[in-house]
Amino acid sequence: MAKILIVDDSSTVRDQVGEFLTENGLDFITAVDGKDGLVKLQGEPDIKLVLCDVNMPNMDGLTMVEKVRSDLGNTSVSIIMLTTESNPSMKERGKAAGVKGWIVKPFRGESVLSAIKKLIE
Amino acid sequence: MSSDTNLVSKVLILDNAVEHFDKIKQFCDENGLIGLRIHSNNVLRTLNSYVDLGGIFIAEDYAGTLEKTIELASSIRASRPELPIILRRNVASNAEPLPEKSARCFVSSYTIDDLSPLHQFIENYIFSVVYPNALIRGITEISVQSLQSQFKAQVVTANAPYIVRDRIIFGEVFSLIPLESNWCRGYMMLQTEESILDSLVVSDVGIQYSQTPFRELNNLLGEVTNLIWGAFKNRFINEDIDRANRSVTQVPLVVNHQNKYISFGSENPQLCFKYTLLDEATGLFCSIYQWFIFNLDFTPELFEEIQTTVDDLIDSGELELF
Repeated sequence: MAKILIVDDSSTVRDQVGEFLTENGLDFITAVDGKDGLVKLQGEPDIKLVLCDVNMPNMDGLTMVEKVRSDLGNTSVSIIMLTTESNPSMKERGKAAGVKGWIVKPFRGESVLSAIKKLIE
Repeated sequence: MSSDTNLVSKVLILDNAVEHFDKIKQFCDENGLIGLRIHSNNVLRTLNSYVDLGGIFIAEDYAGTLEKTIELASSIRASRPELPIILRRNVASNAEPLPEKSARCFVSSYTIDDLSPLHQFIENYIFSVVYPNALIRGITEISVQSLQSQFKAQVVTANAPYIVRDRIIFGEVFSLIPLESNWCRGYMMLQTEESILDSLVVSDVGIQYSQTPFRELNNLLGEVTNLIWGAFKNRFINEDIDRANRSVTQVPLVVNHQNKYISFGSENPQLCFKYTLLDEATGLFCSIYQWFIFNLDFTPELFEEIQTTVDDLIDSGELELF
């Protein structure tokens, strides 16, 4: 089964999104920041979609995305940013790094399901 | 009161002269002040129950005699030095100079016949900073939305914003996050009572603890802080303006847990909002205080609400596919 990786320094968000995915029969793992996200992606080949925050300690989300594409050479995993940021220049940076979509928090379940449907099902 | 906004401030009124109540009350009503009168044999203990005041009005005979009133004011100053105190002198004794030691207690004095020093007092010490209306309105909107998104089972309401000079921390748990822009530099702080917040969260059916409860509450407050901060930035901070020339000055923050006191190294009054989370099913409610402390810079002339075009408008929570 396809796995979803939730990358967010907030355990509240990881719990909320994780609970929602479980309720919808979806499998997931979590990471606490960008560095942890890279480690989890390297170790789990079944990850098909990443839901990633931007503002995180140790490594922010956009840097993580750029490293996923460049350092890990992974261009197939779909990445959606789930963040409080809506700055246009940040979105442009995300697009350039291969981010497929953007959700401004607080998240709505239907938006996440829509992303899953469009990108990995 | 700031002419730009409908801000208020709470002032303690230590005055037993019944004949002056109406005039003082009228002054307060006309100038955005909420007057709180204390009838107590122990003013200091009662004072401790108020944590978000803007100043104190005290009458020269409140404690019986001028000397006793000066003593009381000295004790109040020692306990709450951030609160400015203005003395109401009796008209008859106004010509007599005050004892030298009283200069340390009172920032000024007035008589009931001449309230102009009171106007000066509130302009200089309470409403000394002008906050744009759009900022006040916007903060309330984004904070209520952010709180409501995390407390779905409760009804979130906002009180009128007010100005505070106190430095007392409410409750046991607070979050702090910097705010940086070309027009403001400082912090946003959220404060609440852990036990009350816990009772709301526990009563919310379906909340699963993945960690020990107090960390869960910490994380919840942290996420609310993050949501408000993000929305504040999206609405009021243009990240592209003048980044290279922004000041990097910092001052230490000092927290004294024993005395529930926090200092931001600034004498500036603070902008305060209070939100109430009410669980209508149980009647439980929780207060969350939100402070904005622009201790490093506040230049309202540069403030601008970011205008979003219709094309750019994606509701929060909605997926924008690239």
